[in-house]
Amino acid sequence: MISPRIFEVINIGLVILDPDLTVRHWNRWMELHSGIPEAEIVGKSLFDHYPNLNTTRFTKNCKSVLTFGNFCFFSQKLHRWLFPFKPVTSFAGMFDRMQQSCTMGPLRDDGNAIRQLFISVQDVTEVAAYERRLVELNTRDPLTGAFNRRFLDARLPDECERHKRYGRPLSLLMWDIDHFKRVNDTHGHQCGDEVLKSVAAVVGSELRLTDMLIRYGGEEFCCLLPETQIDTAAAVAERIRACVEAHCVKCGDETIRITISIGVSELDSDSAEQEALVALADKALYEAKSSGRNRVVARLLA
Amino acid sequence: MSRQSESIFTANEKDILQEVMNIAFGKASADLAEVIDIYVVLSVPDVALLNASELAGYIGSEIRDFERISVVEQSFMGRFQGVALLIFPSEAGRKLISILGQEDEQSALHSIALLERETLMEVGNILIGACVGKLAELLDDQITYSPPRVLVEDDPRATVTRDMFDPDSTAIVMRTLFSFENENISGYLFLITRNESIAWMVSALHSFMERYE
Repeated sequence: MISPRIFEVINIGLVILDPDLTVRHWNRWMELHSGIPEAEIVGKSLFDHYPNLNTTRFTKNCKSVLTFGNFCFFSQKLHRWLFPFKPVTSFAGMFDRMQQSCTMGPLRDDGNAIRQLFISVQDVTEVAAYERRLVELNTRDPLTGAFNRRFLDARLPDECERHKRYGRPLSLLMWDIDHFKRVNDTHGHQCGDEVLKSVAAVVGSELRLTDMLIRYGGEEFCCLLPETQIDTAAAVAERIRACVEAHCVKCGDETIRITISIGVSELDSDSAEQEALVALADKALYEAKSSGRNRVVARLLA
Repeated sequence: MSRQSESIFTANEKDILQEVMNIAFGKASADLAEVIDIYVVLSVPDVALLNASELAGYIGSEIRDFERISVVEQSFMGRFQGVALLIFPSEAGRKLISILGQEDEQSALHSIALLERETLMEVGNILIGACVGKLAELLDDQITYSPPRVLVEDDPRATVTRDMFDPDSTAIVMRTLFSFENENISGYLFLITRNESIAWMVSALHSFMERYE
């Protein structure tokens, strides 16, 4: 019989498991990507080599397939991968693991009884890379590389929701460049662009990994600081303000000194309303402006 | 058209199908509880024979009490083939997140919207698989499933089935109300059989009866 050879040539990983999740078959694709020969893994529990799969969720899905004969789909979006393999495409730099789309289904005997289950593994790293690139294009401001307004509008409700559910603090910095119009009028719009880029880069480098820098519009930016209370947020704001003040923007032969004003607020834990959070940070920013600029003002809901 | 479909699917056959569904869904809910710890109550199912062009209106009127809905849609393929629609009120995703026993590192990694959607998809996949699977088992068929999709709709009436069927074809619509016992969530499950499987369905129902005669 030649047809079973399909298992060994197909560009898909195929695993066959007994109901107790002992490996019965491990095709060549799986051997090549895992580095584990079939002879070594057959007869062992899948969890011996892949303890990461030993979760309630995974076993519930296995039981479901064995009981109902349905298919289970492990999407790349949620799971990224089931089997931790090295990526093999030229997008390797983007992901440290091969991105996989996996399907689990039943194998029946002649009497239609479910005897085993299979898992098929498809390498979708390339698709995931394109998708990530599209998301980047869609959520970044091309000039400054900061996130754009669309990103904020999608992310802010999500962060507020997270706050409601887990009670984690969330702070917002609203800031803009002092006398930006004067920069444009004196040095021209190309210099203005340079200033925006340079200031965004300085602020971005001062933020922590989980913080987000967003261009709100024009010369106005904001920073979303998850897991941060207002005192810490004000300290971050002060650090940013000082860094921008100390930094010189070079534009052609000219050197321009820039300052920023920052309003700080924290999401109110009772109402958790994003509108109130933004309005409060806006009000604080206005106060910072009207009391002389180049300063930080923090406000909590009265 | 509908007179023609009456003739291919008699009142007697409709009764048998209703009975088979009753048995299948009873088994499905028992197994879901016993094997997967998902406790779901399925109401006595209801069968209607419709012209495909009437589908959207029919489903829309059934779910008119829901303001915003989430729909899990999944095609199944066997001799028994069609589409399953699981219709939840839109807040169901949030309530269901813990049902598969996770709330682990994933909650921090993903946006809540994605987590809710994927949860709906996974729970929906199991619920649909259980019901369709048991039905197929009783009728001695084997089913392959497509990956489920989740649609979120502001207007339930504008939803689903628009381009799914040839408007001239006939569909058997099986409807049941389900509720998750511990989560205070209920919704509708519709199984819509394609025209192509009606002839098979008729003969499968008869052979099912023969086994009991």
